Parts: sequence; structure tokens; C-alpha cells
Amino acid sequence: MTRDAVWSSPAAIDVENRLFRVLAVLRVVVLVNAVALNLYRADNFSHPAALAACIGAMAAWTGVAIWGYAVPRRRTLLLLAADLAVTAALLLATPLVKGPDFNTSVPGFWTMGALLAWAVHYRWAGGLLAGVVLATVDLVVRDDISQTVYGNAFLLMIGGPIVGFMSASVQRMATERDLAERSAAIAAERARLARVVHDGVLQVLALVQRRGRELGGEVTELGRLAGEQERELRSLIREEAAVVSPGHDQALDLVAELGKLERSESVTVAAPATPVEMPATTVGELVRVVRACLDNVAMHVGHDEPAWVLLEAFPDRLELTVRDEGPGIPPGRLEEASTHGRLGVALSIRGRIADLGGSAKLATGSFGTEWEFVVPRRGREVSA
Amino acid sequence: MSGAQSAEAIRVMVVDDHPMWRDAVERDLANAGFEVVAVAANGSEALARFPAVRPQVVVLDLQIPAPGGVEVTAEIVRQDSSARVLILSASGEHADVLGAVKAGAVGYLVKSASREELVDAIRRVARGDTVFTAGLAGLVLGEFRRMSEAPSSPRSAEPQLTDRETEVLRMVAKGMTYKQIAQRLVVSHRTVQNHVQNTLGKLQMHNRVQLARYAIEHGLDEE
Repeated sequence: MTRDAVWSSPAAIDVENRLFRVLAVLRVVVLVNAVALNLYRADNFSHPAALAACIGAMAAWTGVAIWGYAVPRRRTLLLLAADLAVTAALLLATPLVKGPDFNTSVPGFWTMGALLAWAVHYRWAGGLLAGVVLATVDLVVRDDISQTVYGNAFLLMIGGPIVGFMSASVQRMATERDLAERSAAIAAERARLARVVHDGVLQVLALVQRRGRELGGEVTELGRLAGEQERELRSLIREEAAVVSPGHDQALDLVAELGKLERSESVTVAAPATPVEMPATTVGELVRVVRACLDNVAMHVGHDEPAWVLLEAFPDRLELTVRDEGPGIPPGRLEEASTHGRLGVALSIRGRIADLGGSAKLATGSFGTEWEFVVPRRGREVSA
Repeated sequence: MSGAQSAEAIRVMVVDDHPMWRDAVERDLANAGFEVVAVAANGSEALARFPAVRPQVVVLDLQIPAPGGVEVTAEIVRQDSSARVLILSASGEHADVLGAVKAGAVGYLVKSASREELVDAIRRVARGDTVFTAGLAGLVLGEFRRMSEAPSSPRSAEPQLTDRETEVLRMVAKGMTYKQIAQRLVVSHRTVQNHVQNTLGKLQMHNRVQLARYAIEHGLDEE
């Protein structure tokens, strides 16, 4: 998004409108304040008629400014320049009205109306420009510069840019929030549409798979391919559906990740319906462990032999089971692997689980092979 | 109902919004000797036709035009507690499957299941058995764990599985057949089936109690 687009976005204009509404109230307050002060010190003035004219001009301009700034399209350079010029003119008129030796200018705090209008509309640069102009005029009209006068000028100079900067920040934030809200709504709608489309595709893939198996021959291969695609798409959907809570950008849903290992012909994954969030590195390790177990099944039992993965989530720990119905691991094979200097799959599986602070249990025999892993859930104990 | 227990007489309604699937399932079931008494393409058709044809088994797709599979399941079971709802789902979205089972469905199959599996599942649910896949057992286990952790309500109000039921359910979730479980635990096949059925019963009972409590708390019971 370009700079100009930020300031002309509906959200930014909305912010500006709100600021100008507040400014309108402020203008009335400072006008009342200026009028009251001037009337209170009316005896200081050398030219009461001129004072009355000045007050009249201030009141009139306040009305014009409130009307002018109320609508975005009237906030032109002309209006802002006129605003600044009227304010400067009133400052310049002060020595003529009050005599050369005065303390407070006729407009006084009323000058902030023009300053803030510039800051709101032209941001920090506008605030700075208006501040410089007003401070210069204020200093020029005075014979001697007291500390108070210098202080006021200094405040004008820094107040303008600060308000301008903040106005810009709020406008930018509003624009960004608007954009974020819109893209969230688009994403939600896209997800809804995708679910509908995906479901249709899944139906067809499942049907092709089923018919392929029944018809046999070449079509079986077609059915197998459809089955593979069905699994891919299903795990993709599950991944999309898993909502990872904000603030945990390094958390992953173990249920979704394990779901990707599912093979409709061989591997079944059973897990809770709700996401099980764990740090991404832990999830990665656990998935690698399960994959290693499944690879073992494919290698030693058979490529399309069934295997089951079960994930159970407890408040303090996870239990993960991988089971097959193969002939089991022959006694001594694991030891043999390690004495031959090979790390061995079993050892690397145990190592990974131990690194996660968990324990691994292996049951093997004629009934098959069953790995059971227990891994602690760190950080959960605190909240439980 | 004489003779209704034989396969030929099992009356089935098929609810699926994909005509292709509906036809395929209908044909398969007819070939297997079932009587397909009605088909429906969406939830409202299903609920309109159900009271008229009173099928023993409803084969229901979860992703159908509103009312969805979960609501349809709840309404069918409310109207006729002897009707068996078998969920046949393509996308297998966990929350939906669990929702349907809590609402009263007694079985769940993914659509890629073979024709033999489907026919067998319908026979079993018609007999009063439950058809659990390993995946569904994992979901139900997770749900009981979640309920026992929930801090909101007193522990005693939550249904709990006995140790045996948990053990059996875990074995189902690990892909063991009822026969294998029976052998492992040295009990009868029927006992295993009963344990599995009990877990589902507790879940559905809990769901009904929750709904009733919600209704009372919100004054929905006063018509």
C-alpha cells in the first residue's frame, strides 16, 4: 500500500473526521477562553473598538473553520492556509490593539486551532510548518522576549509535529486494522468455499477408489491413485481446520501433523477431536519418530501392511502408540544392529524420545510390534 | 417385525447430497439384499421422509445441506430411539464425527471403505452393535479425557469410563479387532462388544443430560 493510499483510505479519513470533530469542540473552548480573558483585561487595551473587531473576527473564523473542516472535501490547502493566515494576522494585530508593550496576545491559546488543524491534516510536517510560522510571528511582534514567551513559542514548535506524528500513527493503524479485518473475512469465506469444493472432490476420489478396487485390473491402479489423492487432500483440510491460537506462532497441532501420515490402505491415525498444541520442534521430533516406526513396518512387515497410530493427550503428558501385526522383531536383532556399529532404528527412536524427556516401551512378539511413547507436556503443568 | 432380523428385510434410508454416491450406495445395498425404503439429498428431505418410511438404519453423510448431519442424527434418534444411524463421511472432520456420535449415531465409516465393509456395518448396526473405527475410538477416548479435565463442572457430574472400558477402547483405537481384544483379555466377543457399546452409551447419555441441563437453565423446557 502506497503512502497516499494510507492517508486516503476510508479508515484514515474516518480517524481524521473524528479528530476534526474533537478539534471543533476545542476551538469553541479556546474561543470562549480568549474572549473571556480579553474582556476581563479590557482596560489594558488602547483601542477597545479594534479589540471588539478582533474578537468578532475570531468568533467568525471559528464558525467558518468548524463548518469548513467538518467535511473531508472542504479540507483544502486554501482553507488551511486561510486558517493559518487569520491566526497570524490576529497575532500581528496585537501590538496595534494592545499597544507595543503587551504580555498576552489577543488570540492567546486560540492559535492552537490552526496549529492542530495543520498537524491533523498534514501530519508532522504540517504541524511543524504551522508551529514555525506561529512561533515566528509571535516572537516578531514582541519588543522583548520573556521566558514565558519563549516557552510558548517552543511549545508551538514541538507540539505541532508531535500531534501530527500521532495523528499519522493512528491513521496508519486504522488503515492496517481495516485491511487485516478485510483479509480475515476474505480468508474465512475462502475457507468456507474450499470446504464445499473439497468435500465434492473427496466424494469423487472415494468413489473412484472404491469402484477401482471392485473392478480390478488396470482400474485398481487408478483407484489406488485416487486413494492417495484423497488422503493428501484430507490431511490438507485437517491442517487448515486446525486453529493455532494467536501468540503461539511456534506451536503446531500434533493431531494435524500426525494426520498427514495416514494412508487409507495401511496407516490409521486415531487422535482426539481437539487440537493438541506443542512446540514446533517437539511436534517435528514426534512425527519423525512415528515415521521411523512406520518405515520399519513397511520394511520388515510389508509395504501395504496395516499399522495404527494412537495419540492420547493428558494434561501432563502425551501417550503415543504405534502398532503393527507383523511377525515382531526377532530377539537379538536390535542388539546386533548396535554391536555392528549401526545406530539402529530402535536406538534412534529411543534417543529422540529420551531427548524430549520421555520414555519408550517396546513390546514385540508373534502378535506384532507395539511401540509406546510417553512424552511430558512442558509448560502445561503451570496452567493445570 | 417378524423376519425383520434377516438381511433381506433390513430397511435402509440413504441420505447423501451427491447423486452419484447416493446411487452407488443404493445399488450396492439393493444387491446385498437390503430394502432401500427412501433416499434423501439433504437434511430437510431426510427429516420429512423419515417418519413416513421408518427405516431401521439410516446411512447418513455428514456434509449435507442444512440441517446438517449432526442435527439430522439428533432429530432421528429423538423421534425413534430404535433407529440406527450409521455415519458415512468423506472428509471425516473430527468435530463433526464426534458431534454425530454424541447426538446418537451408532457407527461411523469413511467413504473409502469397501462395499463389503459397508454391508457388514449396516448388518451390525441393525443388530444393535456399534461400528467403531480405530479413528472413532481415538476421538471418543479424547472426548472422555477432555471431559475429565474440564474444570467447570464437578467431577462427579462427568461420565467416566471404567478401567476396563478404557482398556478396551484403547485397543480398538490401536486397530485391534473385537476378536483380538477378546483373546488378549480372555473374555468373550460379546463382552468386548458390550464394553464398546457402553462407552458410546455414556457419551450419548452425557450429551442428553447436558442438553437437558442447558434447556432447564435457559428456561427452554417451559413451552
